[in-house]
Amino acid sequence: MTLLKKKLLNGDFVITVEITPPKGPDVTSMLTKLEKLKYLTDAVNFTDNPSAKMRLCSMAACKLSLEMDFEPVLQMTCRDRNRIAIQSDLLGAHALGIRNLLVMTGDHPIWGDQKEAKPVYDIDSSIMIKLVKDLNEGKDICGNPLYGRTDFFVGGVVNPCIEPILPQLKRFEQKLKLGADFFQTQMIFEIDKLKRFMDFANKFDEVKVIVGIIIIRTKKMLYYIAEKIPGVAVPLWLMNKVNDLSDKDVEKFGIDFASKITMDIIENRLAQGIHIMAISKVEDVKNFLNYIKIRECKLWVS
Amino acid sequence: MIVTKQKTAEEISNYILQYKSFFLVGCSECATLCGTGDEDAILNLKEWLEKEGKRVTGWFIAKTGCQILGTKRELSGYKQLLEEADCILVLSCGAGTQTLNEFFEDKPVIPVNDTLFIGNMRRFKEFEEKCKACGECFLAITGVCIITLCPKSMLNGPCGGYKDGNCEVNFHRKCAWLIAFDILQKRGLIDKFYESFLGPKDWSKANSPRNYSVKER
Repeated sequence: MTLLKKKLLNGDFVITVEITPPKGPDVTSMLTKLEKLKYLTDAVNFTDNPSAKMRLCSMAACKLSLEMDFEPVLQMTCRDRNRIAIQSDLLGAHALGIRNLLVMTGDHPIWGDQKEAKPVYDIDSSIMIKLVKDLNEGKDICGNPLYGRTDFFVGGVVNPCIEPILPQLKRFEQKLKLGADFFQTQMIFEIDKLKRFMDFANKFDEVKVIVGIIIIRTKKMLYYIAEKIPGVAVPLWLMNKVNDLSDKDVEKFGIDFASKITMDIIENRLAQGIHIMAISKVEDVKNFLNYIKIRECKLWVS
Repeated sequence: MIVTKQKTAEEISNYILQYKSFFLVGCSECATLCGTGDEDAILNLKEWLEKEGKRVTGWFIAKTGCQILGTKRELSGYKQLLEEADCILVLSCGAGTQTLNEFFEDKPVIPVNDTLFIGNMRRFKEFEEKCKACGECFLAITGVCIITLCPKSMLNGPCGGYKDGNCEVNFHRKCAWLIAFDILQKRGLIDKFYESFLGPKDWSKANSPRNYSVKER
């Protein structure tokens, strides 16, 4: 059983982090980051060509992480593979020792650096969750028996801040019914919207939700998120707030803001973990986690 | 209808560089509605060719360019003019161009248009793609074609990428799944839809090339 699964099933609070594999075969910098992050977080997600920008594959990054004893989460999208390739890659990932999955439909190639690429989208993320559960039952998507069965722990994604929210909630419910073991949210800027989603999610038994957290480092980063990340709406008050700060103060604010949201989650027992997205410096993660871990311990004791 | 768009003069020039005389063929169906295969389009092309120092031996507008035998019959009246031409230029869709291709083994048959999509016309000569002929119609379930209108062909609801209700790929368009969702809601079918799931889709029904005969029914 993976650490992520064990902790989530035990009701423990989990902390995961996101790494985007390099654009090129040189993994030196990624490995250096992983070496530091493995002592800070429970698992590391490797993104699958995020924003449709071509990168080293998530599966290889997961394998390298496993070799360092740092538990990986393989992210897989439906954008670049048909159902044959998805199943084949998942069987390969399993053979390499990868067990945690996070599946999603994936940003369209129009967002990427190779816009002329043909998008695949043979299946969507709901069906992909079912497909993984089929593999776990020892059969392929058509019901053909497999030699052995996989043992994947599969997560789905949900975007709690999007408007209108109802279609997202219905898809969340559908993914849950199809067998999603846990959920990871898109980045959260407004705790009220997370609460709105959790009110719905808590109608179902034992839903495991990990909340996407972003550490704002620069004004440019926030503008980029607001403009270039599909489905993410940065609230105007936050844009204005950051805009009024000096560059130096933005860094401090970024840590404070991420900590405030995280503390809200912990104090109100809103969700079962956080996932730190789009990191640039390990140092930021370290500072942030050192800060919240101290306070988290106090809270659980009280 | 099949929506077509005339190629640029530069592209056409490159294809016809070595030829001197031409026979032009239009189509009275879709290409006429698009303005790419009607009399005006033919006469404009003729004028341009003549300005370029080329000769047009003749022209005609097929009743239905994609009807192979009917077009062959119609062409029989233009035998002499066709023989005089080095090259046939077709102002039709790709299907119409290939009808002509079947009749001329030696003579080059060159399309003047690019074929874009199956389109609905909202206003005169303004077209929208609503169906991509995937071979397995879900309109009875979703009301609008989510295979065509959703750039990810999502079968079970929207992705998490819409902003202000608009599609992450086509910012000026409402998310197709939000439209479908509204339709399902108004019909009181949301809960029924989400009792199960749609798909995986049988894409083999869209494997090209496809043939169909009514006799198969």
